[in-house]
Amino acid sequence: MPFRLSRRQIITGMASVGLLTSGQRAFGQAPKRIIVPEGEFTPLPIAIPNFTAGTPADAEVGAGVTQVITNNLKRSGLFAPIDQAAYIEKTINIDAAPNFLNWKSINAQALVTGRMTRQGDGRLKAEFRLWDVNTGQQLTGQQYFTSPEYWRRIAHIISDQIYERLTGEKGYFDSRVVFVDETGAKERRVKRLALMDQDGANVRYLTKGADLVLTPRFSPSTQEITYMEFGQGDPRVYLFNIETGQREIVGNFPGMSFSPRFSPDGQRVIMSLQQGGNSNLFVMDLRSKTTTRLTDTPAIDTSPSYAPDGTRICFESDRGGKPQIYVMGATGGGAQRISFGEGSYSTPVWSPRGDYIAFTKQGGGQFAIGIMKPDGTGERILTSGYHNEGPTFAPNGRVLMFFREPGGNSGPSLFTVDISGRNELRVPTPGFASDPAWSPLLS
Amino acid sequence: MKIKVDKTLAASIALHALVLGYGLVSFSTKAFEMTPEDSVPVDVISPDQLAKVMAGTKTGKKENPKPLVDKVAEAKPIEDAIGKVTEKAPVVTDTAPPPEPKVEEKQVEKKPDPPKVAEKPKEEPRPEKKPDPPKVDPIAEAIKKEEKKPPPKPVAQAAAKPPEQKKIVERHFDQSKIAALLDKRDPTRSAVTGDTLNSNAALGLANGKAADNSATWGSMFKQQVERCWKKPYGGIESQKPEAAFAIRLKRDGTLEGMPVPEGTPATPYLRVYQESALRAIIECQPYKLPAAFFEEWKYFAPVFTEQKT
Repeated sequence: MPFRLSRRQIITGMASVGLLTSGQRAFGQAPKRIIVPEGEFTPLPIAIPNFTAGTPADAEVGAGVTQVITNNLKRSGLFAPIDQAAYIEKTINIDAAPNFLNWKSINAQALVTGRMTRQGDGRLKAEFRLWDVNTGQQLTGQQYFTSPEYWRRIAHIISDQIYERLTGEKGYFDSRVVFVDETGAKERRVKRLALMDQDGANVRYLTKGADLVLTPRFSPSTQEITYMEFGQGDPRVYLFNIETGQREIVGNFPGMSFSPRFSPDGQRVIMSLQQGGNSNLFVMDLRSKTTTRLTDTPAIDTSPSYAPDGTRICFESDRGGKPQIYVMGATGGGAQRISFGEGSYSTPVWSPRGDYIAFTKQGGGQFAIGIMKPDGTGERILTSGYHNEGPTFAPNGRVLMFFREPGGNSGPSLFTVDISGRNELRVPTPGFASDPAWSPLLS
Repeated sequence: MKIKVDKTLAASIALHALVLGYGLVSFSTKAFEMTPEDSVPVDVISPDQLAKVMAGTKTGKKENPKPLVDKVAEAKPIEDAIGKVTEKAPVVTDTAPPPEPKVEEKQVEKKPDPPKVAEKPKEEPRPEKKPDPPKVDPIAEAIKKEEKKPPPKPVAQAAAKPPEQKKIVERHFDQSKIAALLDKRDPTRSAVTGDTLNSNAALGLANGKAADNSATWGSMFKQQVERCWKKPYGGIESQKPEAAFAIRLKRDGTLEGMPVPEGTPATPYLRVYQESALRAIIECQPYKLPAAFFEEWKYFAPVFTEQKT
């Protein structure tokens, strides 16, 4: 009997469930879903009319800021700034809502309005608003105060704000690049350490060029760089403070020390120390000056680079025969090879986002720049040719800078490329340039 | 109980199992992945049901209990104007045999019509009902008086309607009626007569299973909105973003209001993705979608998504 009852219960239960679901179908007003899957990535059309001048004297800086922002967004490859000649309104008041029809008609999807005003105390006030032309909403708006000579930085900061609001990613425009500036004939090349904004402006020379400098690296958290310099004796790793101009040798080791790089917190420097025909990885604490050995192999271990969380290190080693990329814990031991393609891999560098390791790959008479995931999968070659080397990540991990030598008598120059391999661009430098290293965001 | 095991047999079974098992594992490949396509629902229906689905005009209302009437006169319903070009056929004299098949077709088409005539009686009770409300509603006696007058004379009520009718009959170019426009043979022939004016034809029966035409108008919508969609660049990581909206369109294809996004985006990139889709929906209006399916596309949910990364 109980069996029968339960079966009846089951039947009635199922029936009621069926009724309920059918009822929901009949009465539920769920709209029909239409899948739109095919959208292609297209640079976003953006209008950036000249920032208005708070006082007549500010017109020049207003135009300058607009120019820098336009250039930044255009170079990113993600935006298509509309030519100012097409604008129906040439200048636009930041205090009022724009007449969006004027901007819709030139197919702008985003609009930037701004104003530069010299204050009574001599400072410069910069204001801007970012508008969504189609919805008529303000997406973001800020104002900044600064010394007039830093107007370019303000323009970079505004560019970052626009980039971040419209792409959902952190920007990278308010950053600098340290590189090796090369001048003179190929046999007697003078190499100086130089610093510039990421767009190639404001070049400053940090060394005089008497000694050969190589592999400068930015601290991920401070305004310091570390690099290798061939002085009178063996090449040494140096530390250089950009703000103060102070320079010091990192440690005092017998033999060569080279390929230095900062830890993510900027408190340690990891580098290679030469031991006979081999080299091993060591890490030095910059405050306590204690040095710790990380590898002990009869091979050349070099080019170490920390993961952004500081728990792991990727480096190059020829312990397997040819140079390949290995990953191990930050305290050493248990290195695992991650590069298995044809040819040899060198100069690995971990992305600030942690998702990729960039490298130089040599094989078949070509040098290529590529990226792979920290587990060695997803290898992707971004560019290849006669000689490409020394990748460095932008602070947001979306763009790589590297140097390229065309061969012959000419010299190297700097290039940027998106980590998808798109949008390869030359970075303007005064002379030949090599070994770039991207700084973290300044603000 | 001794079970004698033949060693060769056991070895044979084991080996076979091993080989087959290995084959199963090593030769089985990953299932071929197909990109999912929109499914078009297919129902098996009887010819009778089909006739019901097809009844009425393409531009008509979904359900309209009143018969199609253009002129107040003696009831003489005719077929809708769209297929009217063939109406010529019945005029042909008996001596001409060829048109006969056409006449037959006509009769088939006409089948769904009789219901219109049959429904008429249902309407008649309506005027009788109208006097009831005044009893309940004591307000506005003047209105009552006015209302009381018409009930006995349905014709008068019909006369009162024309203003409404004028609005609806507003001339607009309808491609589906080109044939009717070109056919100038007998301008009066399409007038449907009845005792109550009603120029709105019925699309069909509400309880009939209307076909799902979203594959048609959906792809038209997709094509149009994609032109305006500036998809944000999401890098090379497969984030599989998705942004869905509920949108209401007017008959002219413009938005009735702001599209309503489904859910709040979890990451800045998803927010940007959603905003880009919203911009596209707004920028690309008005949408040119088949008027016949307005009831389907007046409210739907476009889903912007990334299939390939």
